[in-house]
Amino acid sequence: MTDAAQPLGTPASRRPARRRGPRRDGLLTLYLYGAMILVACIVLVPLLTTALGGFKTLGELRTNPFGLPQEWIWSNYWDILTTERYWRMLGNSLVISSLTAFLTLAAGSMAAFTFAHLRFFGSGALLNYFLLGLMFPAATAVLPLFIRIRDLGLLDTYLGVVLPQVAFGLGMSILLFRNFFRNVPKDLLDAALVDGCGYVRYFWHITLPLSRPILATVGIVSFVNSWNNYILPLILLNTETKYPWPLGMMIYRGEFSTDWHLVLAFVTLTILPTIIVFFAAQKHIVAGLTAGAVKG
Amino acid sequence: MAEVTLHGVHKSYGELSVIKGVDLHVRDHEFMVFVGPSGCGKSTLLRMIAGLEEITDGELRIGGQVVNDLPPAQRGIAMVFQSYALYPHMTVYENMAFGLQLAKYPRDEIDRRVRNAGRILQIEHLLDRKPKALSGGQRQRVAIGRAIVREPKVFLFDEPLSNLDAALRIATRVEIANLHRDLKATLIYVTHDQVEAMTLADRIVVLNGGVIEQVGAPLELYHHPRNLFVAGFIGSPRMNFVEATVSGTGEAGVTVVLREVGTEITVPCAPGGVRPGDPVTFGIRPEHLAEDGTGAARIGGEVQVVERLGSETFLYVRMANGELLVVKAAGASRARPGDRISVGVLADDGFVFDGDGLALPAGPGRAPRELGTTRHEEMRGRPGPLLS
Repeated sequence: MTDAAQPLGTPASRRPARRRGPRRDGLLTLYLYGAMILVACIVLVPLLTTALGGFKTLGELRTNPFGLPQEWIWSNYWDILTTERYWRMLGNSLVISSLTAFLTLAAGSMAAFTFAHLRFFGSGALLNYFLLGLMFPAATAVLPLFIRIRDLGLLDTYLGVVLPQVAFGLGMSILLFRNFFRNVPKDLLDAALVDGCGYVRYFWHITLPLSRPILATVGIVSFVNSWNNYILPLILLNTETKYPWPLGMMIYRGEFSTDWHLVLAFVTLTILPTIIVFFAAQKHIVAGLTAGAVKG
Repeated sequence: MAEVTLHGVHKSYGELSVIKGVDLHVRDHEFMVFVGPSGCGKSTLLRMIAGLEEITDGELRIGGQVVNDLPPAQRGIAMVFQSYALYPHMTVYENMAFGLQLAKYPRDEIDRRVRNAGRILQIEHLLDRKPKALSGGQRQRVAIGRAIVREPKVFLFDEPLSNLDAALRIATRVEIANLHRDLKATLIYVTHDQVEAMTLADRIVVLNGGVIEQVGAPLELYHHPRNLFVAGFIGSPRMNFVEATVSGTGEAGVTVVLREVGTEITVPCAPGGVRPGDPVTFGIRPEHLAEDGTGAARIGGEVQVVERLGSETFLYVRMANGELLVVKAAGASRARPGDRISVGVLADDGFVFDGDGLALPAGPGRAPRELGTTRHEEMRGRPGPLLS
């Protein structure tokens, strides 16, 4: 207990805190929900229209493009699923996208760890050099890229497509990884050093297990970007049996240019794997994995 | 033997020098505490001993071996961090076993050490839990357990109690003291809390601006501070300082007149280099001022603030020179803000600091003060001199 000759508190300390009324909070929630529903509609309506369109006849698609099918025609999907071409293109896409995601994760995480924890001559300049890659989309480098891949003897190979995709994805992945690694509490590194870790062991035993959220994020982004990439396979692959689905999609659309219901079914089936990958990795994209590490 | 010796240790970040030539000897089995204000370099010094900061210049020996260039894991140390620094993806058992696994200890030996540490710290039932499922106190025990299993030569504690609440801090403080007694290890402990320092330490190192101000047993620092900084830092509430002028010196001690207050006080200390007319600083602890006016001299003033803690009361008295004097009074004190009182000064317990801030040495008139034995000496069963 303290007795004082003069009041010790300042006028500001006695001023009641300004509060928002319940009405104002309710309106804010309403706006937020409205905005989220709008964004969800923008994303979901085309997706549902495409998926439902695959169950319709061509005639119904023209008269009723957005509604539920009057009759669900499963054969549209079944006919595609029973073709060898679909599975081959799906396999090509899976190989290319998985390799791209794996190599991007491996190279990006290790490079970012170095930039996050070690300072060496030119490290800042080297980081900026990598980040410059964010400014150049693949389309701006088509000709030199083609020549380089041809000189390396990688034309018309999976690796010929994968390596440029990894290179173009490194800038973003290093940026994301580095920011994440820098936020891992420094005391963990110190504790690991005292426990006998070097930087490599610290990366492998401590950093990577704590980095599941960012690994999942970068992995999904790399996978989906590679899955949807059209221009690199177009210029670097010549054999149809090696085409991933964006190229296969163009061939399929050429063959069934008037059968839009079949094209929609094909598109739906090709985006399914990315949705599966997203939901599989989603559980790892959660906050609080470092909970309990240090005093919060 | 696990002595730690620092010879002329420096630490610089470019032009900025943060540790400016530290010489220190930590004895085997000693509980040494580094204290000092924020930014004084105490944590940096500890991290240099741990090997987490490079030593710019000087020599560090642990157990007689120069370890300047050895990585932390090879120095024979274990460290407990303020933030616990537990690996969140590992269980308590895995956290404690991790260092031993890296050192390739046999699985049976790891299990024995982890379970033994768990038993000592009473966390056996928590071994399968992850850190996020533990309370702050339990996490701190795990952090200590992680250090114990390594069976190091030297334990390093970096403000381990700062994140605990008051009650838990006191309980853990007692446990750390018991742990030191049981493990008989050399222990270096960093804190900014002088209560921790006074209660735990065999000896205290007071750091300020990267240099050691004084090293000594807790009561030695309390009773014989070397300078103004140590006098002001050790003791809570801090020592009162009043600007004064020397009015005379003699066998009885040094007589000073408090400026703008007028009170004349004779302190039993040797005059050293001070002469009548020299400006000095008079220092007196709150517990050596008497609310009832008893003492060799009196200082008048008006009570500004009264802090009642139950067992004791602190009075903040405004003197004629406008400065506040803190007086420790009885818990039942009836003083109120606005009261005018005459505070008695127990001059025998006062200090005089010269123009450079150095305490004048105790004179023959001062009664010897009981410094006690350190826990370090009690542990070894032989009382000895407190100063090295």
